[in-house]
Amino acid sequence: VVWIYHKSQKADEYLREIKEQGLLAEAVRQCVEAAGHEQEAETQKTLLRVKPLVCTSIKNLAHSLFSLSISVSAASFGKCFLSNFPPELFVIMCRDLRVLNAVRDYTVGIPLTHTQFKQMTVQVLIDRLVYRKLYPLAIEICRYLKTPEYQGVSRVLKHWACCKVQQKEESDEVIARTISLKLGEAAGISYSEIATKAYECGRTELAIKLLEFEPRSGEQVPLLLKMKRSQLALSKAIESGDTDLVYTVVTYLKNEMNRGDFFMTLRNQPVALSLYRQFCKHQEQDTLKDLFNQDDDHQELGNFYVKASYKEKRLEARVAHLQSAVDEYNKAKNEFAAKTTEEEMRLLRFQKKLEEEKGESLVGFSLHDTLRTLLAVGLHKHAEQLYKDFKVPDKRFWWLKLTALAEKEDWEELEKFAKSKKSPIGYLPFVEVCVKHHNKYEAKKYVSRVTPEQKVKAHLAVGDMEGAADAAIERRNEGEISTILSRCSPTTDRALVERLNRAKSTAAKK
Amino acid sequence: MAAHLSYGRVNLNILREAARKELREFLDKCAGSKAIVWDEYLTGPFGLIAQYSLLKEHEVEKMFTLKAGRVPSADVKNIIFFVRPRLELMDIIAENVMSEDKLQPPREFHILFVPRRSLLCEQRLKEQGVLNSFTNIDEYILDLIPYDGDLLSMESESAFRECYLENDQTSLYHTAKGLMTLQALYGTIPQIFGKGECARHVANMMLRMKREFAGSQNQILPVFDTLLLLDRNVDLLTPLATQLTYEGLIDEIYGITNGYVKLPPEKFAQKKPGEGGKDLPTEPKKLQLNSAEELYAEIRDKNFNAVGAALSKKAKIISAAFEERHNAKTVGEIKQFVSQLPHMQAARNSLANHTSIAELIKDITTSEDFFENLTVEQEFMTGVDTDKVNTYIEDSIAQKDPLIKILRLVCMQSVCNNGLKQKVLDHYKREILQTYGYEHLLTLNNLEKVGLLKPQLTTRNNYPTIRKTLKLWMEDANEQNPNDISYVYSGYAPLSVRLTQLLARPGWRSIEEVLKMLPGPHFEERQQLPTGLHKKRQQGENRTTLVFFLGGVTYAEIAALRFLSQMEDGGTEYVIATTKLLNGTSWIKSLMDRPEAQIL
Repeated sequence: VVWIYHKSQKADEYLREIKEQGLLAEAVRQCVEAAGHEQEAETQKTLLRVKPLVCTSIKNLAHSLFSLSISVSAASFGKCFLSNFPPELFVIMCRDLRVLNAVRDYTVGIPLTHTQFKQMTVQVLIDRLVYRKLYPLAIEICRYLKTPEYQGVSRVLKHWACCKVQQKEESDEVIARTISLKLGEAAGISYSEIATKAYECGRTELAIKLLEFEPRSGEQVPLLLKMKRSQLALSKAIESGDTDLVYTVVTYLKNEMNRGDFFMTLRNQPVALSLYRQFCKHQEQDTLKDLFNQDDDHQELGNFYVKASYKEKRLEARVAHLQSAVDEYNKAKNEFAAKTTEEEMRLLRFQKKLEEEKGESLVGFSLHDTLRTLLAVGLHKHAEQLYKDFKVPDKRFWWLKLTALAEKEDWEELEKFAKSKKSPIGYLPFVEVCVKHHNKYEAKKYVSRVTPEQKVKAHLAVGDMEGAADAAIERRNEGEISTILSRCSPTTDRALVERLNRAKSTAAKK
Repeated sequence: MAAHLSYGRVNLNILREAARKELREFLDKCAGSKAIVWDEYLTGPFGLIAQYSLLKEHEVEKMFTLKAGRVPSADVKNIIFFVRPRLELMDIIAENVMSEDKLQPPREFHILFVPRRSLLCEQRLKEQGVLNSFTNIDEYILDLIPYDGDLLSMESESAFRECYLENDQTSLYHTAKGLMTLQALYGTIPQIFGKGECARHVANMMLRMKREFAGSQNQILPVFDTLLLLDRNVDLLTPLATQLTYEGLIDEIYGITNGYVKLPPEKFAQKKPGEGGKDLPTEPKKLQLNSAEELYAEIRDKNFNAVGAALSKKAKIISAAFEERHNAKTVGEIKQFVSQLPHMQAARNSLANHTSIAELIKDITTSEDFFENLTVEQEFMTGVDTDKVNTYIEDSIAQKDPLIKILRLVCMQSVCNNGLKQKVLDHYKREILQTYGYEHLLTLNNLEKVGLLKPQLTTRNNYPTIRKTLKLWMEDANEQNPNDISYVYSGYAPLSVRLTQLLARPGWRSIEEVLKMLPGPHFEERQQLPTGLHKKRQQGENRTTLVFFLGGVTYAEIAALRFLSQMEDGGTEYVIATTKLLNGTSWIKSLMDRPEAQIL
């Protein structure tokens, strides 16, 4: 086989022979492999008698091998020659040999055999180069072998940077700039690792500068905390949007700083402040109050006292909290909240007093429910008083009294009430509420007082089809007539239906 | 089991399978028999990922609910806590661990944080002195849960409250993370649009996270063309309106939780001969609602007024199918008929269920009160008398109707009027506080903070301009055969969906003026794709847009988006994602503050 390498005149003859035996592919493969092992020892070289080729570089050997087979194929056997021989073997071998040649160079001095190289893998070779600080060569090899960036170039660059940060003679500024220039946007670079190294070497400022380049906040923040750059850590955590990270820094700050400084820090970071408020709301109510105090947030303080008031079991304590709330609301210029809270205090006192006098449980009820209870147990005078004191709108009071009396089925009182003065809610509600309590008899009493617009509805509510029809026809309202018709059943009086239909068609004509 | 997730434009089952795989891997990390102690809140969302059978296959023998005291005795090797990262839960876990019976053979403890672990919580465990008691502390990244074939939800009830009331953006961080997971599975989304502060924040975080992953290029061909991030507070109006689609009404009336609804049992009593009406079931009837049920998929997005017709049509088809048996003469034909029986019976059951539900709903929608409430809503939405005190609201307060109903209406009036005159606002507030109790001052305050209720500061009300420009009110909404999204609210076209529709065609540039009137910035971002991953669209192939509602979305809005997807020359199909599915009631409820009053 080796003879082929010699540009012997008999080459063509040998080739034909080998080809005929179908051994050409095997021959070439052996050549390739042989080339790989070629550098094992000087003695073997002589034995192989391919010295001229070997004396040129390994790369040339590979090239010659490659071109030889091509030229042979072209010259002697046509295009299909060696068609099934995989080219990868050549290519890989060429690359490997080039790498090996490079590291065998006397300036590097790593005399590896091909077998050793295959055994130890590229990764390890790169590591060895990195240990020897042969960064440029390592990077060249990674690029040449197309190692994925993350395992290759980036890793070497990181080692380089870690080494760089230890160079005491250069300024932080220069180093940081050099590193960022060189590393650029290289994939998967962990700036935090480099920064850690710098920090370990006592170069905190440099570490901070380097961390600026770190895109992963999860990596950035803990180191910044370790370096006691908590403010910076906080802004980085907030930038990341990872609230857990923000909480972590906040808890750290809380333990590290005195309260005043801590609150000031938060004040400048609204995101952190809101998160801390959330934390306090569930965990530390008192701190929450202090926070609001510090910010002069009177509205929130008012709310805080309102909430606190509900936790009190004694009336006086509850009222005291409410008073504090009123004060705060006033400071916040929230007149409405202040007035309402005062109202609440008045109601509580009123309820308590009445509870003691009449033994009716009232405290904690809303104004509405209090009134309702009073009306239900017949304390009409007290109800009237409450209605006036709290300026309950007439409409609502009428509704309230109407429903309360109907519920009690106090029809006599209800009638008296209806006649007391003109109802601000009209009389349809009287009809409907009575019907709701299954008293059509009472309901009918109010139908006549309902306004013309609502008459049809009122008649229908009490089930008076005739009345409804009369009202609708009188008003010549097509819509209302249709409503009545839709309520008619097969049992409805025929004449009535006809009358409605006639009225409908005349109303429609208009 | 979850086949319905893969029928859509985007196969969401991939996401579910990824979640299941991760769960299995964690369970296998804790070798031997195990018991799970659940943070109760998580059981619902987990049900959408895995049933008990999956857990059982991985030697989960017992399940408990997390509560103070001691973990019930169970002869298992491992105790696993499935919890959200909350401090109050850490305290309970610490108590659980410390009160473990020393006499029993020792059990190993593990924590699985959902959706991710938290330094703060671990710190708390450390303070409590139990951190070292755990063999595994891990996180289960469950942000976006596949809810249906075109729907993802984070099932985070409090997201709106946290973002807009408490300024706590944790859920937005989870959102961004969830979108990164989604992109890892379905490819980088080349175009991002957004409107609102939260949307901006999420987009920023996404771009930032992408930088963090620099180097590991995503080599998946993008499934989504566009992501649209929408803040809920850009459209506060829509959730306040009563939804009028079938699914929307089920949610409004009975509430759908994690895909299930509980219904009054009377209508579902199985009438078996001989039992004669006694033993009526008292337990509510629980039904799962999703597109796996063919009939439901067909009718859920229809306006309720079109559901009756659809049901009777279906009834005819089913009974015709059963009639087929008379035509089956040969053995082969009979065999074929029999093989179809299970499917037909399922269809018949489904029909019976939905007929019952539709009857229940009809009783409510035909009531006077429902009608009056709807009339007022529609008056507000069309801008009738929004600046005056409304009599219906007043009367409803006077009759002490449910507070949330009142709040929905008052908020709606405020939104449709760009705030209420101070006098009107104070009148409503006073009426509410006197009727329902002064403690609701806190709730009213919350509603004002999030902008649902506000005093009118300028005399200019821009709602009419928004309504006209975006065509939010369509006079002749066709409920039976809709030609516009406004059918979902019988006239009102949800603002959020209109924005989505206009983004696809003709683009937002045409509505710059209106966008400026709505809160928060609007923006567009592009994400670079690796060369070779640029999609070459076939002629007539639709674009796929993921619409993310930050702060919640209603079923009616989803129906409207589905309607747009199905439009013949729409050109865009939508997948919907949200922090939570909500309706006006659940939404307002999440914003309420109810101090528990001590009895004096």
